Amino acid sequence: MTAVKTTEAAAPAGDLPPALPPAVTGGAPGRRRAGAFDRALPYLLLAPALIAILWLIGWPVVSVFVTSFRQLNLGELVRGEIVWTGLDNYVTVLRDERFWTVSLRTVVFTVAVVGASVGMGLLIALLMRVLTPWVRIALQIAMLCAWAMPILASTTVYQWMFDQNYGILNKTLVQLGFDSFAGYSWFSSGTSTLSVVGLLIVWQAIPFLAFSLYAGLVGIPRDLYEAAGIDGATGWQTFRAVTWPEIRSLLMMVTFLSTLWDFKVFAQIWVFREGGPSGESTTLPVLQYLEGIAKSHFGVAAAISVLMMVILGLITFQYLRKLLQTEEGKI
Amino acid sequence: MAVSGCGTSTNSGSGTETKEITVWLMDGSAPTTLTDALNKEFETANGIKVKYEVQKWTGIQEKLTTALASSTPPDVIELGNTQTASFADQGTLADLTADAGQFNGGEWLGGLKDSLTLNGKQYGVPFYAANRTVIYRTDLLQAAGVAKPPTSRAEWLDAINKLKAANASNPEFQALYLPGQSWYFLLSLIWDEGGDIAKQDGGKWTGTLDTPQAKAGFEAYKALYDASAAKKVPADIDEAKPQQMEVFGTGNVGMMVGLPWELAGAVKAKPDLKDKTAAFPIPSKKAGSAAPVFLGGSNLAIPAASKNSDAAKKYLALLSSKKYQDMLAEGGAVPGTSKDTSKLASNAIGKAMADSSPNGKVTPVTPKWAAVEAGQNPLKDALTAYLTGAKTLDQATKDASEAITKAMA
Repeated sequence: MTAVKTTEAAAPAGDLPPALPPAVTGGAPGRRRAGAFDRALPYLLLAPALIAILWLIGWPVVSVFVTSFRQLNLGELVRGEIVWTGLDNYVTVLRDERFWTVSLRTVVFTVAVVGASVGMGLLIALLMRVLTPWVRIALQIAMLCAWAMPILASTTVYQWMFDQNYGILNKTLVQLGFDSFAGYSWFSSGTSTLSVVGLLIVWQAIPFLAFSLYAGLVGIPRDLYEAAGIDGATGWQTFRAVTWPEIRSLLMMVTFLSTLWDFKVFAQIWVFREGGPSGESTTLPVLQYLEGIAKSHFGVAAAISVLMMVILGLITFQYLRKLLQTEEGKI
Repeated sequence: MAVSGCGTSTNSGSGTETKEITVWLMDGSAPTTLTDALNKEFETANGIKVKYEVQKWTGIQEKLTTALASSTPPDVIELGNTQTASFADQGTLADLTADAGQFNGGEWLGGLKDSLTLNGKQYGVPFYAANRTVIYRTDLLQAAGVAKPPTSRAEWLDAINKLKAANASNPEFQALYLPGQSWYFLLSLIWDEGGDIAKQDGGKWTGTLDTPQAKAGFEAYKALYDASAAKKVPADIDEAKPQQMEVFGTGNVGMMVGLPWELAGAVKAKPDLKDKTAAFPIPSKKAGSAAPVFLGGSNLAIPAASKNSDAAKKYLALLSSKKYQDMLAEGGAVPGTSKDTSKLASNAIGKAMADSSPNGKVTPVTPKWAAVEAGQNPLKDALTAYLTGAKTLDQATKDASEAITKAMA
């Protein structure tokens, strides 16, 4: 077979060149070579930067993927051993019923938090459009302050607010006459704990969302609204017919970004109750931390990472598809 | 080139080459008077410089992991006694069995020796231990009519109730500051009732928190927790969040189950507490004796990849000598390589600690234990669920037992 192949490959190579040179030697080769070089030049110039970016972004991803097929505990790490275990890590993770509960919880949590934060962000952006400048500036400054607050600082403040014995929330509720809130624990169940964490994340996310969407709203020409007003459209109709089409793609993008951010929230959840009580507020990033850092099972943690990417891909599948489609459409 | 050539000869530890050793000790472990004297003596005797670095406990697991995985790890490290087995099992620590003689091997503290022994080999040297005692306000107990420290659990409960009654006018008063997740203290009660956390059977560990004895320990905890104060400490926090010494320092607390350094911290914040505090051993349910205590502490080890292991051994030998062990005891810790605790008994807390340290026990010595304690501790979860009523005692202990069995599988 190989012998046949070589002769086949050699035959055209031997046959064709003699036929071609006369046509080509007419003065074209110099230009052709220059043409190929010209075409390659931009890529060559971009290459160093592209390789650097691929290395910086791509390598960790590849590394996580490769690690997920290795048995990598502290011992292997220290000894520098490479032990391949095939799909063992994935089998371990997928067989653990806890992984499925935690995945479901993470998805529900992400959807709720993204929905609430994008919805609130949109409402505030719409509100900002109709506010008088002074009130709007005051609101914007307040939001900037909230945005500028470091995550751990605001998490600590929230912990104090929701404190069982000394929190301002319980004290206020008791003052208002709800006596059952004296010494009420907001962290007695996973749902309750995640609600508080969710509230914090929504609070932290709103400024960015409101500013982005407000920027989109400002770009809509005023005369469109005037025209709608003349036609006698109600507020809701104006929103549906004028505002919505203009900000839909922007809204989709911020929803996509929020999904990425909220899916992998770790610090806030960990700081509140370390995924407790009884592991009921554990989400996938927390589970990954427990496996990787607490138990030093880096291979299993890497498998969880890869599975997280898969889940995230599934959630954002529709958006990714649209994104790719529009790109193709533009080309 | 000569340097890299030396680098490849791992473990040979040729003494002539060593110019400097790196020593990592933990924050708050040995008093600086001790380390200053020790490092100076070592440097003059051996002509080797000591690069002494103090590490923080927070995040130490990660830091040690990275350091031990590198080709130039520190030469002497301090490890928590519950961490040691897991690091030894992964082959990261040098086997010191043959050298125990030069580290005063005959006088090692039993509980710590167990914690660094894996499959009959020793992977470290005991450093120091400390155990919890009940630290109390002498003035408040006297005012409440409790003449002498309680010596049984019943007497202790009685003292708590008297203290509570005497301070009823202060709504913030805690007769006993007891957060819901003080799990080291729970261990005392479980051991006192004759129970344990887990048992080993043919290499397999099974959680035993659902035994009647362990459940009795939980019940004892609840009795104390319920009696502790009118306004109880939340059931879902531990003694470190907030630091209980800070709460004790407010002056609204009659007693706390704590370590000597915690009282030192409270005294630092409020100096007048110094003359108003003392300690008694955690009372057993059996009158007149002390309950077993969790022996917290540290071991010293030499990383397997250390290139200066001979010099590191000399350093450990010096540290385990009686002179420095006495200084440790003076600083308020149970020394790891000396049975002489007379220096320790000279202050009130030290005496209470010395009285109960022979009863010291440790968590299961197995590399698997680290997985139970790091991350989400089933003992803490069980306490919270039981104390808040989220689960019945049977359910909470059953779940915790299963979680422990699973984590140690």
